Amino acid sequence: MNINLKVWRQKSGENKGLLKTYRLENIDPNISFLEMLDILNIKLVKEKNDPVAFDHDCREGICGSCGFMINGRPHGPQKATTVCQLHMRAFNNEDDIILEPFRAKSFPVIKDLSVNRKAFDKIISSGGYVSTNTGEAPEANSTIIEKENADEAFLSSACIGCGACVAACKNSSAMLFTSAKVSHLSLLPQGKEEGKDRVTKMVATMDSEGFGACTNTGACSAECPKEIGQINIARLNQEYILSSLFSFLKSRK
Amino acid sequence: MQNLITILTSSVGRKILMAITGLSLALFMAFHLFGNLFLFVGEAAFNSYVEKLHKLGFLIRIAEFFLVLFVMSHAYSGILLWIKNRKAKKVISSYSKGNTSGAAKYAAFTGSVVFIFLATHWSTFWYKFNFDLQGMSYYYVVTESSVGFGSPIVSIFYIVAIALLGYHLKHGIASAGQTLGVVGTKYESIYNNISAIFWFWIPLGFISIPIWFGFIVRVI
Repeated sequence: MNINLKVWRQKSGENKGLLKTYRLENIDPNISFLEMLDILNIKLVKEKNDPVAFDHDCREGICGSCGFMINGRPHGPQKATTVCQLHMRAFNNEDDIILEPFRAKSFPVIKDLSVNRKAFDKIISSGGYVSTNTGEAPEANSTIIEKENADEAFLSSACIGCGACVAACKNSSAMLFTSAKVSHLSLLPQGKEEGKDRVTKMVATMDSEGFGACTNTGACSAECPKEIGQINIARLNQEYILSSLFSFLKSRK
Repeated sequence: MQNLITILTSSVGRKILMAITGLSLALFMAFHLFGNLFLFVGEAAFNSYVEKLHKLGFLIRIAEFFLVLFVMSHAYSGILLWIKNRKAKKVISSYSKGNTSGAAKYAAFTGSVVFIFLATHWSTFWYKFNFDLQGMSYYYVVTESSVGFGSPIVSIFYIVAIALLGYHLKHGIASAGQTLGVVGTKYESIYNNISAIFWFWIPLGFISIPIWFGFIVRVI
């Protein structure tokens, strides 16, 4: 198949960017999207041009490194699929494909399609951890967890922190990401220890990193490659109300 | 105390404030509509209902104070969040299609129209009822006077504004359920069923008044 790529080229955060057109011919429809970009880059390097920078690591859809906008949608047209798991057969012959980086003030462009997602790390480090000892896996039944909670926590923990939710949101809100982390930990007994102020700390970091507020439009869940649901945001809000009440009552004493 | 201020001024805190004030105002609408429907019962019934409210005196003033306070804090938080959200989205020639529902996308716009409507509502109906009756009955002010549905322009503006208010509430009430954490609990379906009363049936009740008194009564 032949495709016409329009790729966002930007030397660095300080430089202005623009869309450049590249044509690729005789692409096997069964290669992955990133392999197609590899072919483009090999071609660019052979022509002594600058290759397109894009993030990727595992290429198995579980690390959260890859991600950019394909035709205005984070991770492209396929539901519940990261860019690395997307294949060229999802497109048609002679398609125009527009590639842009994730757009958000909190995700400054490093180069081309690669953005700095350090803000997510800061949210995690402000509260997304447990203080219980890790080490060897404990005896399976030593801590009893209800099946419903275990399932829900598992669904929330599926978040790979790729940033698609921020890119999909009209407000560049990080609520889906933050709420997935909060839910995942607050549903499990190991997360209870820091549970009282985890959510307030993480929300404070989310705000100070310049992410917008959630206006409950649901765009994030619709585009999430791991199908993290809106229920996580509701759960974050519940936690937030409880933790606010708790800290208010504590300060009254 | 410092803690509480930090919490209430965070993005989630502001949204909780918006949810609580918004839902309170929606509940007030139900009460307001109850009074308005006396217009259909008849002139005497409506006038005596308004008289009864007036006799409550300072209780009404306290309620009015809270209503204005709620409207203002709802609008204030909304505007601050809107500015924050604007700043967070760096739009540089983005090709994003967006998959946001209209009610959610235009909530700030519909809210602004509703605010303008409220300002005119207070400066006409509320002001007349309280300070400037000029011997007219309450019923007459609403159904016949130039600030009421005697004027087709007022009627049309009223219908449009209330329809937009319903649209605003369609997103607003669902959003409040999410913000207050009702979603995902066993109360979710009850909440969603009740919400249709507030975003559809109550606004429809309000709209029926200008349609009846402003247009239908005049034609038949």
